[in-house]
Amino acid sequence: MIENTLYKSKHRLWLNILFASFAIEDETIKSSLYDFAMIEFRHMKWLGQALRDADTVYNYDRDNMMLYKHESNFDLLRFVLGEIKNTQALYDTSVLGGRMSTDEHYFIHHITALLDDNANDAKISAFDMHRALPNKTLDPKQTDALTIFLFEESYKEYELILVYAYMQNYTEDRLHFDIFQDLIDESHFHLKSFGNMMAKMGILGLPRELHEMTYKITDIEKFVKDGIAEEEAAKEMCRQLAADINDEDLSPFFDFINFQENYHIALMEKLL
Amino acid sequence: MEQDLQSEELNEEIIEHLMHPKNYGKLDEPSGVGVGHDEKTGEYVIFYLKIESENIQEVSFATNGCQDTVVLGSMFSEMVKGDTIENGKDAVEKMDQRLSGMTAQQQVCAEMVLTSFIAALINRENRLKNASEEMHVIKMKESCEIKPEDEEKQ
Repeated sequence: MIENTLYKSKHRLWLNILFASFAIEDETIKSSLYDFAMIEFRHMKWLGQALRDADTVYNYDRDNMMLYKHESNFDLLRFVLGEIKNTQALYDTSVLGGRMSTDEHYFIHHITALLDDNANDAKISAFDMHRALPNKTLDPKQTDALTIFLFEESYKEYELILVYAYMQNYTEDRLHFDIFQDLIDESHFHLKSFGNMMAKMGILGLPRELHEMTYKITDIEKFVKDGIAEEEAAKEMCRQLAADINDEDLSPFFDFINFQENYHIALMEKLL
Repeated sequence: MEQDLQSEELNEEIIEHLMHPKNYGKLDEPSGVGVGHDEKTGEYVIFYLKIESENIQEVSFATNGCQDTVVLGSMFSEMVKGDTIENGKDAVEKMDQRLSGMTAQQQVCAEMVLTSFIAALINRENRLKNASEEMHVIKMKESCEIKPEDEEKQ
């Protein structure tokens, strides 16, 4: 029988692999872990559908999950490997259970191979609070503005991914389902961008856990209108940050994020 | 605490609260649950208390608010955790008196944290009187939606 405990474990596993991908600098390892994390997120989606079909309530509790400050690639990869192996025991014999299990057998194989080659080990600086970007000279005010922006927006993107996923799972409306999917995909890209930047600055932290008051939406119209106001505020934050930082690489990036929010607002308006 | 938040630069203590907020989440079998809710923006802080013999044994909080709310909630929850209810109320008063030194946005965030704590104490008293109140909700008078004139004052 599929239990909420499995959903909770998959949620934690998605985050553990995702944030490991942000923390590790090696682009090849980062890329494979990110792909695995996105597969874990799809597992969560399918599991959520199965739980809904079985009239089983699930939630986004994480049981005081911590993001440990691992100091090397191998420390972090060994931790992730252990978490994947622990989850294997929770799967049942359903088709979905089989799919999740075989996917993770491959993850275990891949990560074990990475650990067999010492060339894959390296120091991790994602948690050391050095608060500087490679080859960038930002003054303290710019650094603080960027720091606050990254904490605000990484939490917000995580929140949006989970809230939209929850609403998507319980909607009967095909148009709404598709809009939620677009918004989820967009937020995954933003979370990836911000998470990688936080790691480069040594301030990588898990977004805080969502309380059910945040994702059990009773008034969708108010939720969407508040969401549009938040998108407007995020646009302004991006615009202000781009102006304050005034950097030839970073400013165009934040403008790019700002302009993407326009289409998010258009998508959200279709929900009204 | 207020000095830290007002300072020009973020210090390591505040970054640590941002990376790992203290006492964040829910409490099982709480003695009191309170919410400070900003109806205009939908932002809230929910505060959980576990009290034994008038001592605040455990606390936790959660919010969908901004990072100022997270840092203030993290710091305030550390202040009252393990202390008496009376000292917890004193901490609210002391922090209230110092709000004028904060930015307009920080004042609203701090008020929401303090309000949720007070609401949790009210909920605990109501529960002791056998009221079947799951949580006590207090609507915020001031909204976290900062007006341009407020920004200019900062």
